[in-house]
Amino acid sequence: MRKFQIGDRVTVKEGTSLFYTRVQTYTRGKTGVIADYRPAWVIPEDEAWGRDDGRKEPFYVVRFNQRDLWPEYKDQNDTLETEIYERWLEPAKEEAK
Amino acid sequence: MSTTHEHSLALEQGENSKFEVLEIAVRELAISRGLFSAEDHRRFTEWSEQVGPAGGSRLVAKAWVDPEFKARLLANGIEACKEVGIDWAQPTGHGAPSDYTWFYVLENTPQVHHVIVCTLCSCYPRPVLGMSPSWYRTVNYRRRIVRWPREVLSEFGLYLPPEVEIRVHDSNAKSRFMVMPMRPKGTEGWSEEQLAAIVTRDTMIGVALPSADWTATQPPSQGAS
Repeated sequence: MRKFQIGDRVTVKEGTSLFYTRVQTYTRGKTGVIADYRPAWVIPEDEAWGRDDGRKEPFYVVRFNQRDLWPEYKDQNDTLETEIYERWLEPAKEEAK
Repeated sequence: MSTTHEHSLALEQGENSKFEVLEIAVRELAISRGLFSAEDHRRFTEWSEQVGPAGGSRLVAKAWVDPEFKARLLANGIEACKEVGIDWAQPTGHGAPSDYTWFYVLENTPQVHHVIVCTLCSCYPRPVLGMSPSWYRTVNYRRRIVRWPREVLSEFGLYLPPEVEIRVHDSNAKSRFMVMPMRPKGTEGWSEEQLAAIVTRDTMIGVALPSADWTATQPPSQGAS
C-alpha cells in the first residue's frame, strides 16, 4: 500500500547524511509533486551494504518546479524530476495541519 | 618560494584514482581465483566500449514511423528494445554493461523538452547509447545542468523559448532514461534508416535537437551552418 498518490504534494525530509541514501542534498526540505510511481526496491541504506534482502519501499517520481529548488531561478515553467523512496517523503509542509 | 615538489589536489597525469586502484585489486583477485580470465576481461571491455548510440537511434527512428511501436516503447522500454535486437540483460544476465532496473523513454513535445543527467555519478542508458561522453560525467555538467539548464543548453548551442518547459531528469535511482526528440521538418518520406542517421547521441541526451542536415557520421562542414 502506497502512502502517496500521483498529484500529492510532498516535502523531502531534512534527514542526516550519515548513511548512503541517493537523496540529493539539493532536494532536502524542498516540496514537489508525485508525478509517477516506481516499483518497490531495496532502499539504498540497505543495498549499500549488499543486503539484497533488505527493506523494500515504494519509490516515486517527484517533480519539482525549478523555482522551488533554486531561489534565483527565473523561468516559471521549468521542472526537475528525480526518484525518491517513501521514508524520505512527508506530506507537503505548507499543507500539514 | 618553495623549491620542494608540491602535489596539487588534482590527479597527476597517469596517476590512478582510488576507484581505479580498487577496480584493479578486485579484478586481479577475481582472475587469480579463476572467476574469469584476463582475456575475458579484455574482451568484455573491448565489446562494451564499442557499443555506440546506434541502438537508441534505431529506437527513435522506428518510433517516428510506427505509432504502435512508439506506444510500446513508451510503455515498456526494456521489452520494446528487444524488437530492435537490444536485450538489456545480456551478456551478464543481470543488466549490461552496468546495473539497471528500468528503462524509460522521454518523449519531447512542443511543450516539454527533456534532458538527462546523473548528479550522483554517471548513470546512463549504456545498452542503447553506449559509453557516455566524457563531458556527461564531469562535475561541471552534473552540478550545473540541474541548476542552470538553459544556460548549459545554450553552451551546446541550444536555445529554447521560455514557453517550452525544460524538464531535467536526475537519474538518481534504478531507472535509466533516454530522450526521444521530435522528428524535424524536411524529413517527410524518409526511410527508417535515413531517419536513424540524424538521431545523434546528443539529441537523445537532450542537449541538442535533430536536424535534417546533420548526421554525426559525417564530418561537419566548415563555418556557421
